[in-house]
Amino acid sequence: MCLKFVVIVLISFSTTAFSSNVEYDGWVNINLQHSLTFSDKPVFTDRGNVTIQSLRTGTAVVQQKPLTQSDRVKLRDLSATNEFYQLKSTVTLADGSEISFLSTVKACMLVESELNDILSVSLDYSGRVIAITLAVASTSTCEGAVVPIDKLKEFSTSVFVRHTENGPTPDTATYIQKLEREREAKERGDVKDNRSFLAKYWMYIIPVIILMVITSATNPEGAGAAR
Amino acid sequence: MIATKNFKYIFLIYLFNISYCLYEDQIGKFDWKLNYVGNVKFGTIDSTKRVIVATEENVIASLSLKNGQILWRQVLENPALNQIELLHVDKEVITVSGGKGTWYVRGWDSSSGSLLWEWSFYMENKQRPYWILSKGQLVHIIPVLGSHIEITSYDVHNGRNNGKTMKISTPWVTDLSKCQTAGVYWTCISTNDSSGQLFYTDMLSSANQVRTFPIQSLIGSAPGHIEIKPLESGDSNLFLIRNNVARLLKLQPEAPHVYPYSLSDKAVTAFNGDQTLLLQTIQNSPTNKLTIQTIELQEGTENVFEMDYTNEAGVANIVSAVCKGTACRIFVKSNDNSVSLLQLPGGKVSWTREEGLSQVVAVEFFELPLSELDASIEHEFDSISGDIFSTFYNRIFSQIRQLLVVLSGQQGDSNIGMVRDEFGLHKIIVVVTASGRLYGLDSMSGNIVWSQYLKGVEGFSVLGKLSVPLFVQRSARYSPLMAQCAALMKDKITGHGVMYTFDPITGQSIGNIERLPYQIEQAMLLPYEDDKHMKGLLIMSDNYEVMVYPSSAKPVLLKHASSIFFYTAGSKSKILQGYNLVHSTTDSLKATPTWTLNLGPADLIAVNVRPSSERVHSQGRVLADRSVLYKYVNPNLLAIATLMDDPIHKQVLSIYLVDGVTGLVVYSAAHKRVGKPVHLVHSENWLVYSYYNARFRRMELATVELYEGPTQSNSTSFSSHAVSQLPHPQTQAYIFPGTPLAMLATLTERGITNKHILIALSSGAVTEVPWAFLEPRGPHGTMNMEEGYIPYIPELPIPAEATINYNQSIPQVRGIQVAPARLESTCLVLVYGLDLFYTRVTPSKTFDLLKEDFDHWLIAIVLIGLIVASYITKRLASRKALKLAWK
Repeated sequence: MCLKFVVIVLISFSTTAFSSNVEYDGWVNINLQHSLTFSDKPVFTDRGNVTIQSLRTGTAVVQQKPLTQSDRVKLRDLSATNEFYQLKSTVTLADGSEISFLSTVKACMLVESELNDILSVSLDYSGRVIAITLAVASTSTCEGAVVPIDKLKEFSTSVFVRHTENGPTPDTATYIQKLEREREAKERGDVKDNRSFLAKYWMYIIPVIILMVITSATNPEGAGAAR
Repeated sequence: MIATKNFKYIFLIYLFNISYCLYEDQIGKFDWKLNYVGNVKFGTIDSTKRVIVATEENVIASLSLKNGQILWRQVLENPALNQIELLHVDKEVITVSGGKGTWYVRGWDSSSGSLLWEWSFYMENKQRPYWILSKGQLVHIIPVLGSHIEITSYDVHNGRNNGKTMKISTPWVTDLSKCQTAGVYWTCISTNDSSGQLFYTDMLSSANQVRTFPIQSLIGSAPGHIEIKPLESGDSNLFLIRNNVARLLKLQPEAPHVYPYSLSDKAVTAFNGDQTLLLQTIQNSPTNKLTIQTIELQEGTENVFEMDYTNEAGVANIVSAVCKGTACRIFVKSNDNSVSLLQLPGGKVSWTREEGLSQVVAVEFFELPLSELDASIEHEFDSISGDIFSTFYNRIFSQIRQLLVVLSGQQGDSNIGMVRDEFGLHKIIVVVTASGRLYGLDSMSGNIVWSQYLKGVEGFSVLGKLSVPLFVQRSARYSPLMAQCAALMKDKITGHGVMYTFDPITGQSIGNIERLPYQIEQAMLLPYEDDKHMKGLLIMSDNYEVMVYPSSAKPVLLKHASSIFFYTAGSKSKILQGYNLVHSTTDSLKATPTWTLNLGPADLIAVNVRPSSERVHSQGRVLADRSVLYKYVNPNLLAIATLMDDPIHKQVLSIYLVDGVTGLVVYSAAHKRVGKPVHLVHSENWLVYSYYNARFRRMELATVELYEGPTQSNSTSFSSHAVSQLPHPQTQAYIFPGTPLAMLATLTERGITNKHILIALSSGAVTEVPWAFLEPRGPHGTMNMEEGYIPYIPELPIPAEATINYNQSIPQVRGIQVAPARLESTCLVLVYGLDLFYTRVTPSKTFDLLKEDFDHWLIAIVLIGLIVASYITKRLASRKALKLAWK
């Protein structure tokens, strides 16, 4: 599970509308906490709250506090040292139970996107949250572009609720229809081709003619040369 | 139009024909098959010709006493649910097999193995019954604790019940571990010490008399734990075992007779005319030779024979023996599941069968080293000093050596066979068996090159399957340096990790077997080599500490620490956790959690990653309008399958594709009302999975293909962090008319060759399905037939020509392993189950090889003829020109 980082432009998240197959609609409250110092024992501070009012439609309300001056400095330092920014999302379900998820992005990507990020909330088929992943939607690259610190004030987060699609099923209906059509066509009998012999087989005749013309054209000359 | 379509189908069939068929004279040319019977459970030497065995794999077979070859073999039902419980060899072979209440009673012809008769019955009571066979009556015994035993007898040939179930009141049956059947007697001891009583009753007599004797009066009153065990081959004989010393009792209607010999509880009897012999192994240390003691039961004459048999796996148990005069033949089974036939009084080993190979749990292919001659040529270019004289000297020296080798007509090397061939088809296959023995097999013949037994270890149970991870730390490519492979196992008792590193070519261990002081949570091979081309092995312990072996790989690891990611998948906690090693220092390696995926109540049933050596040759596919659809080729993608119980849909299968670096769920799909077995194959930008559709009661295959779209986001190298666009999945499902037992995609050197999916079926066939048949057609596929899409047919055909093992059925397949040859067209395949089957497949045919029947002579003669003809005509033409000039 490893690779070299080559951080490249992040254009846009696919916003394909997922066919909703959540059977019971519900709401989810997500508490976001982040760690602005990357250590092996991260200290998480409050970042904000996301409430998904309807899992089926995926409408979400995002409430996030602006970053304090010291947090901004921390974030900039994190970016400067090419460290990771960690987000801990705690989901409170309708029944009151809590599950927490961890997600990590490169801090420099977040900074260079000027805190434009995307929260991808993945649901399983029954509408239970299985993963919350932070990603950065930005056209900037992690090339060390200097971002003024006052631009690191407010997160503008877009939330995407991603449902589990129904898996494919063997498409027997269309195939049977197709066979049926073919059978019907056969029963009706092939439509009589009224075109003339030449119209039907011109593509075979023309090359033969051309060949004949060429050979007859070259032969007399060759014979002449031989003489 | 219809005509052209039909033509297309004909063309398809034609393609099938030319791509797979094997000519009759090619049988065994590229493939070999080794047949096994499995882990022997019961065995009886039937006559002087054969031994009948019944095994844990639910197989009944007959082995030749002369050479150990299988005379006949019958593979019965699935061994996970059915087991042979009784083997009786008389005029015919009678077996009782089954489980979960369903029992099959069968009679087999002992010389041909054909089924003579069969009957089955179903019991409501799922408790495991006891069976005895006496005088043509099959007796089925179910004990009810503290109350009675229920005895039902059937006519063994037709299953006719004698009318009623007999109940014998036995309030003394309190614990089944203290009860046994011995011949027609049901016997128990009341306590596990000398103060207890021995009860026994004859189950077939109508008197129902229960005999009770204090154990003290039989074997004295020494302290110690007492157990009872029936004598496998004896009639009404019973062992009373105290402190590993067994005393033999013969149960009789009046009072039991106690023989005065100290025995081991693994002794067997053999009949020698009207004499009865007791045989047991007495001295059995792994290094020393096996010693067998024989005791004549009536007279007490003892003999000791030293056998010419050593096995480092230790303790060989006698399964069965037969004697004639002074000559005995003894069938023994060792801890590594190998079976042998020994001869008395000579002490010779007639033959040995490595039955451990019927339980292969891990397979890896290894490249062989260069031959000495080739290696010397390679070394010529090793010296980087551009000194003209030394290079000249090297050149002349190696050429003289080559000349000498050519003149002497042989390769100077001693192990002449085990060198790399031109096309990389000759490899060594390292297999690990469940019994803890490692074998090196020659891929050309299937012969065992080396074997090594590891004591007290077992494989890990990963997602319900036994697995032993094998890691290729260094291949044989770096000539003077030895190839190195590491196998990870766990200690049988403590569960701690055991690491065994060895040279896969010779099987020699490198260093000692490393007993790690912790349990292994996750292990992976680092993708970076150190200066000695050694890849480090990263191991995560159960308390999340990270270690790297060998320690020389540590600097390399620290250098790349920020880009090494791995994950753990807990089968109990149902949480997938991603880690990286950013916070590692030279003193300690630290795994920092980076992402979580919570599966909740769903069961994780399969995890699959792409083979690390796989190369994707083409970046996209060209559509009919000449635009390119780029593939989403993410090397960090994990494919996960989970199964969840659901009140409405019974069981729901969910398939997730998760990025291993960021934890982003790239694709997810759910199938309702489906169940096991589920197999995943993940390769290139696609995933194939099979499942059982409980709604339609059929097996289905589904495929997912991921495309980035018409533009490629990061074309130079892929980064999981740069999520510019989620891939567009295309899916399709098919009905599969077979039950897959294992699935795998072929793998070739450069990935140019087409991909085929190899599917092992429950019928014993291993079939190839081209990826082109499974490919999701998507919106662009249905429109544009000319792109090379095959029209969608919902039910996949399984043509007989696509069976790679032609008529050689492979029962109970457990897995398939593939390896690329150095020839791009060829992929090497080993199918393992009860048998081992090796072959090569060429998914795009042998486009880089001349046909076998290619006429070299003809082309040479034609070429020479043409050259000669051109010279002659040149002469003739010049003569003619001369003549013309003179005119």
